[in-house]
Amino acid sequence: MERVLGDKKAIALMVLPALIIFIVIIFVPIIWTFVYSLFSGMPGFKFEFVGFSNYIDMWSNKQTVEAIKMNWKYIFFVTPGQVGFGLLVSLMMYFSIKKYRTLSRTIVFIPTILPTVAVAQMFAKMYEMVPNYGLINALLDLVGLDKYIQPFLGQPNTAFGALVVMDIWTAIGFYTVIIYGALVDIPHEILEAARIDGASGVKLFTKIVFPMIRTIMITCLVFSFTGTIKLYESATALTKGGPGFATTSMTMNMYQNAFLFDQYGYASAVAILILIQCLLVTFIINKISREKY
Amino acid sequence: MKRKVLVLSMALLLMVSLLTGCADTKGTQTPPASKGNTTGTSSDKFKSRTIKFLSVWPEDDKNSNGWIISELSKQYGETVDGFDLEYEYVAIDQLDQKVKILMSSDDLPEICTYESGVRLKQVIQADMIIDVEKTFTELGIRDCLDEGAVSLLKNLVDGLGLYCVPLGMNMEGFWYHKGLFEQAGIEKVPETWDELLEACEKLKAAGITPIVQGGSDNWPMTRVLNAYLVRSVGLNAVQDAVTGKRSFTDPEYVAAAKMFQDMAKKGYFAEGMNTIDPGTATSMLMNGQAAMNYDGSWKASNLNSEDNAAGPEGIGFFNVPVVNDSSTLLDYSMNCGNILMFSKKKYDDKVADWMKFVFPKLGDFAMQETGSFKGFAISKMPEDTTYYTQLVAEHLAKAQNAFLWFEAKMDSETSTIAQNSISLLYTGEITPEDYMRMLEETAAKSR
Amino acid sequence: MDREKRMKNVISIIGKILIVIFLFVEIYPIFWILMSSLKNTQEFNLSPSYALPKEIHLQNYVKAWFQGKMNIYFKNSAIVTIVSLFFIILFGTTSAFALTKMRWKLRDKVMKIFLSGIMIPTAVVLIPLYSMYKSTNLLNTRICLILTYIAFGLPLTIFLLRGYLTSLPDDMIEAAIIDGANIYQVFTRIMFPLMKTGIVTVGVIQFYFRWNDLIFSSTFISNTNMKTVQTGLLYFSDMYGNRDWGAIFACISISVLPTLIIYIFMNKMVIEGMTSGAIKG
Repeated sequence: MERVLGDKKAIALMVLPALIIFIVIIFVPIIWTFVYSLFSGMPGFKFEFVGFSNYIDMWSNKQTVEAIKMNWKYIFFVTPGQVGFGLLVSLMMYFSIKKYRTLSRTIVFIPTILPTVAVAQMFAKMYEMVPNYGLINALLDLVGLDKYIQPFLGQPNTAFGALVVMDIWTAIGFYTVIIYGALVDIPHEILEAARIDGASGVKLFTKIVFPMIRTIMITCLVFSFTGTIKLYESATALTKGGPGFATTSMTMNMYQNAFLFDQYGYASAVAILILIQCLLVTFIINKISREKY
Repeated sequence: MKRKVLVLSMALLLMVSLLTGCADTKGTQTPPASKGNTTGTSSDKFKSRTIKFLSVWPEDDKNSNGWIISELSKQYGETVDGFDLEYEYVAIDQLDQKVKILMSSDDLPEICTYESGVRLKQVIQADMIIDVEKTFTELGIRDCLDEGAVSLLKNLVDGLGLYCVPLGMNMEGFWYHKGLFEQAGIEKVPETWDELLEACEKLKAAGITPIVQGGSDNWPMTRVLNAYLVRSVGLNAVQDAVTGKRSFTDPEYVAAAKMFQDMAKKGYFAEGMNTIDPGTATSMLMNGQAAMNYDGSWKASNLNSEDNAAGPEGIGFFNVPVVNDSSTLLDYSMNCGNILMFSKKKYDDKVADWMKFVFPKLGDFAMQETGSFKGFAISKMPEDTTYYTQLVAEHLAKAQNAFLWFEAKMDSETSTIAQNSISLLYTGEITPEDYMRMLEETAAKSR
Repeated sequence: MDREKRMKNVISIIGKILIVIFLFVEIYPIFWILMSSLKNTQEFNLSPSYALPKEIHLQNYVKAWFQGKMNIYFKNSAIVTIVSLFFIILFGTTSAFALTKMRWKLRDKVMKIFLSGIMIPTAVVLIPLYSMYKSTNLLNTRICLILTYIAFGLPLTIFLLRGYLTSLPDDMIEAAIIDGANIYQVFTRIMFPLMKTGIVTVGVIQFYFRWNDLIFSSTFISNTNMKTVQTGLLYFSDMYGNRDWGAIFACISISVLPTLIIYIFMNKMVIEGMTSGAIKG
């Protein structure tokens, strides 16, 4: 048994190709990025060692600071939005419908599978005002709410809102299906027993249901967070970061600095900052989730 | 055991595919024919040659520069075997980023659209593009370029030389819808900025949108700000601020940003203007949905087309109104449009041959087909020049001094900020002081 | 009791209505896109955008496919996605197996290395990868995308498959070994078939991730003939933006359809895989 399951050659054969690719494409570049972040300019062109000054300059760079703020504001709305709506819809599905559950799950999941750029183009058309009314403005026009007709993507606040709505819309289905899976796994006897004890509604949820799906909720939060902190695709495709810098995320700021302003060193520092935030928050979420219970 | 072999061979397969992958691409990335200096020998055997053209104009947008190049290339393709123009489109606001990436991978296409000024200067200094003056002289086609355009282009790169060809001999100003002006009771075109504001007020009172700019591309908005800035500070306003001789935060500069924002606040600009693209803005002017549009003389080709609902004489033009005596009506905003540059690495006989065919024809072809000046010599003016073409010619003849567009002398970062933030100035999200302070801070970094 | 029952009914009905509204909101935009892609350009100006097309105008698709070069982009996306998917699944299953069922010293450490990859934001590797591919002449090739996709596909795949594998009992493996099977046989004959649902789930999830990639393909690929659907779509919309709505909607529809079709055929397995075992880890 040990001999077969501990076959070194087999293990090497099975793990090494994956490990090598993984290390070469992901781990080496991370170290590389860190080294770059200690330099200014770009390789081959005014590339100078500057120590940690990029990390200090960052806080006085208006665009970067704006991008950090914007990105966190985005996480603050989108992560709870995605997971919260996912929870809500899965609860409704679980408790209020008996028939067509599979069908509804199938439909709910569809937006998740659509290409981001296509979704963004679709929403851009929906939000449009000039030269033709897009879907939303046309509907507002139809029901007589003319005063709300506006260029949604042309104003910083509404553009941000438009992005948030789109990204929540896309992901609800994903979380609904996962959370629903956890709900189905709750043993029926437990729910029945609780009902007999007189628990219902909110109480049933907080005392019985939620503790049972806690682990999966945390997984969902981590998932959603790692997705939202690297915001790039959807914002690029919907607003290109505008108007102004209102929807420019940290990754977009990094991209601009690297590929538009030729500041590879500085951009690398921004990239490392993103990584640190990512690891830190995941660590905190895990820590909290373990401690409390 | 068989399974083991299978897994092993899979792993091998991958490694091999990776390695051959490398080799393959190395092979394809340096087509033997493209290595220049072996002139006219057996290396010409390579029959098909694709010349790549990176453009900011949709290929099928008739009258655009892209269409002109593409049409002339088609004509050229009929005279030789195995020629193909690969047309690649990139949105204008992505152009800079795209060119930067291509430059850093040393992969500039044979023909590449770019912007003159500071940005072109960087490419010249990186030694990646050919010296057009030298090449054209060698090819014997130097005289197809218009001298005015050549000196403007040389000026833009601070005298480094001629490294690009023009695609326009443009002046900019306000195009206006005559019918709407009449309707609003405006009798003469504005010559001072106050008159312009008055006209806007009258138009607004008559329920007409006074000005539309293609704000989604940002530059059409910075142009308006620049217009006021130049008229109130002088022809070198931006240049002086960039070099540190003056500051973007000087009161006169802030006043220009304030003027722009005030005009937005007063509703002189179209609603949702920062989501309107320049093409739409042009059609709005022609359809009478807005009365004025600050734009270049390249617009003549759109106006000449049958789509122009305003008719063959329905749109007029006036130069940027004056503010004080810093600048007069004889100073025009002039430029050569987006320019073409040519990769040094990929330049070879085939490209030279294509150039010899296309550029001597370009001036006349553009004039005939679109009625616009491209900065190329024109051997004969078509007899039936349209009203719009004449209008442009008249103004060009009047011009005594030229001033540049807003971002011409700014580095990438400053210009990105100038463009992105103008949208916020328009929506009122930031104050004029904020806007100018941002420019000052960024410009200061590279002084 | 009666009142409570009525309450319950009311809640259930409200729930049902909400779900129906919700499903409508999730699905209607897609329907709207498909309908709009059949309109001709004048219709956009003449009738409100929620109106149905007056006649079916398939020319938009012809235009999107050829003029928009969707045919080229499609081929590229398909090749890149399928090849990387193949390797993601191959490497993912073998390493997940070795990392959960086999016994060796560094097992947990290696597992941690892979799992840490889930949290790595793409931004942090972009610049070095770009320099790396540039110096090896891999920019503008499919290989650079495939390599990157494999590396970024592995962590989640191993994570999901691990969850799936741990839920499978060890007895079968032990029984097979006692019967004299070697490790490769155990993997190919016993574990692989058992992982089928898990593999489909992973495959589908990875398919969407790779098919949707924009940041890598737009950075590494500048050659039109190598561009993928996502980058192509972005360019197409810039180019036709406000001029040709029909074509742009057709383009969006084209890029949406394959994923939609695959999903419709596979949805049972996907949903099953998502709800059972796999993702709960």
